[in-house]
Amino acid sequence: MLKLVSFVSAVIIWGLLSLTLPPEIFPGPIETARTLWGEIVKGDLWTDLAMTMLRVVAGLLLALILGVPVGVLMGLNRRAEAVLDVWVMIGLTVPSLCYAIMAFMWFGLNESAAILAIAVTAAPSITINIWEGVKNVDTKLVAMARVFEASRPAIVRRVLMPQIFPYVMASARFGLGIIWKITVLVELIGRPNGVGFKLFYWYQLADMRQVLAWTLLFTIIMLLIELVILKPIERRIFAWRPQVAV
Amino acid sequence: MNPAIEVASLRKTFKGRDGTSRAVLKDLDLSVGAGEFLCILGPSGCGKSTLLNVLAGLDKVYEGQARVSAGRVGYLFQEPRLLPWLTAEQNLDFALTGCKVPASRWDELKSRYLAMTGLSEYRDYYPHQISGGMAQRLALVRALCVEPGILLMDEPFSGLDEITARRIRTDLLSIWRETRKTIVFVTHNAYEACFLADRILVMLGGAFRHEMRVPIARPRSYDDPAIFELSRDLIKAFDAEIGREPVPSAIPANEPSLVDDLDRHAAARMNI
Ligand SMILES: Nc1ncnc2c1ncn2[C@@H]1O[C@H](COP(=O)(O)OP(=O)(O)OP(=O)(O)O)[C@@H](O)[C@H]1O
Ligand SMILES: [Mg+2]
Repeated sequence: MLKLVSFVSAVIIWGLLSLTLPPEIFPGPIETARTLWGEIVKGDLWTDLAMTMLRVVAGLLLALILGVPVGVLMGLNRRAEAVLDVWVMIGLTVPSLCYAIMAFMWFGLNESAAILAIAVTAAPSITINIWEGVKNVDTKLVAMARVFEASRPAIVRRVLMPQIFPYVMASARFGLGIIWKITVLVELIGRPNGVGFKLFYWYQLADMRQVLAWTLLFTIIMLLIELVILKPIERRIFAWRPQVAV
Repeated sequence: MNPAIEVASLRKTFKGRDGTSRAVLKDLDLSVGAGEFLCILGPSGCGKSTLLNVLAGLDKVYEGQARVSAGRVGYLFQEPRLLPWLTAEQNLDFALTGCKVPASRWDELKSRYLAMTGLSEYRDYYPHQISGGMAQRLALVRALCVEPGILLMDEPFSGLDEITARRIRTDLLSIWRETRKTIVFVTHNAYEACFLADRILVMLGGAFRHEMRVPIARPRSYDDPAIFELSRDLIKAFDAEIGREPVPSAIPANEPSLVDDLDRHAAARMNI
């Protein structure tokens, strides 16, 4: 309920703000929705959207594949932690635009380079989350499981995974936030389609209606993913947790 | 009969942050007979939990010998150590699965011990939904469910109210009598030790300093004055060990609660 109110007031604020500038420069929500609807009816928006989604999902998967094992290793091993700490910090500091440029210059203007750039940008923050999670594993519970002769797989599944999972979830969500942004950037500089490409295209034509329409589309998709996919997964996995006011 | 637990010259040192090592267990010798109920009494920080960790096989870094006879070792930790993402019953199932107790016996075991600890109604509750004392009782149920031959208990009743603790102590004794377990029971409470044990070892600074047999016939009654007398002797002996004058004898004999808690005394004296 509160969420709905807040959503509606965001739209209203947008509408009020848009009155301060001419509609060609700052269109309001209704005008933007109409433009977006026009694009949807025309139908070629789906390819761009699909390409962007593909890059986001592939980038996130690759980022998890790179980030999670490194994070686990750093959490388990002091020496690995000391060595990799600096690398993670460097990885985190380099601007995502640099990764994108390097990937395209070294590997060509292709899909793999784009996905690689996306994944490398997001991986360090995923690593940091997982590292934190593994370090915080409660070894007393592991000792308990050993006393009750739990098998190794059972310990991993029933004792370790539930402890690390919140951190994986947090890092996936955090990673997703980063990945949305970097994907648009990568599309802008090196891909012939996708939401970022379209945004840049309309920007060059100075068509603010279209720019905002695409931004709106992007935001709606992002919210849907959060509400329809991530939230329910979390609710199911963390059913055991004390209920904190939602 | 072979002893169930044999420890010889057990030394355990912990490395401090600054690299200095500190002996926490100092050449311990201990032999616990099969079916014996042994209480270890000692102030906070004297190494009781460390000893139990070695006996449970959790801590393998030590000098000397520690041998525990074949058979399952059950360990009731000082904290409940329940898995927060499993319900009470699932926590029990986790232990039963690990210890490969035949599934046909699960219901009987769970029902019996849950009833004993008054937790029958709480099978579907998550650990965060039950109180601290209930969590401790649930951990006791878990330790009993797997039917260990040797049961290590680390201050299991310290978080319970006296009425509940009394009842469970009595139940524990009847389970012990029925199943002939070997029990090593760590406590701060001299009265509790005298009620439960065949033999009491007083531990101080990582060594056993005093041994006392409990000659009181079983079954015992919790209000038996002989238990009170004995607990007072025990505290006197304990005080003698830490090199202070004995407990003032002004404590009225019908006020067991005053001497109930060894730790309070120890703490009070050490503060001087
Ligand atoms: N992992 C550890 N690393 C370093 N020192 C430790 C460790 N575990 C225990 N110690 C030290 O060993 C000593 C004994 O600890 P232990 O937990 O065995 O005490 P205890 O007799 O069980 O006390 P309490 O009654 O408070 O539970 C303490 O001084 C503690 O600081
Ligand atoms: Mg302890």
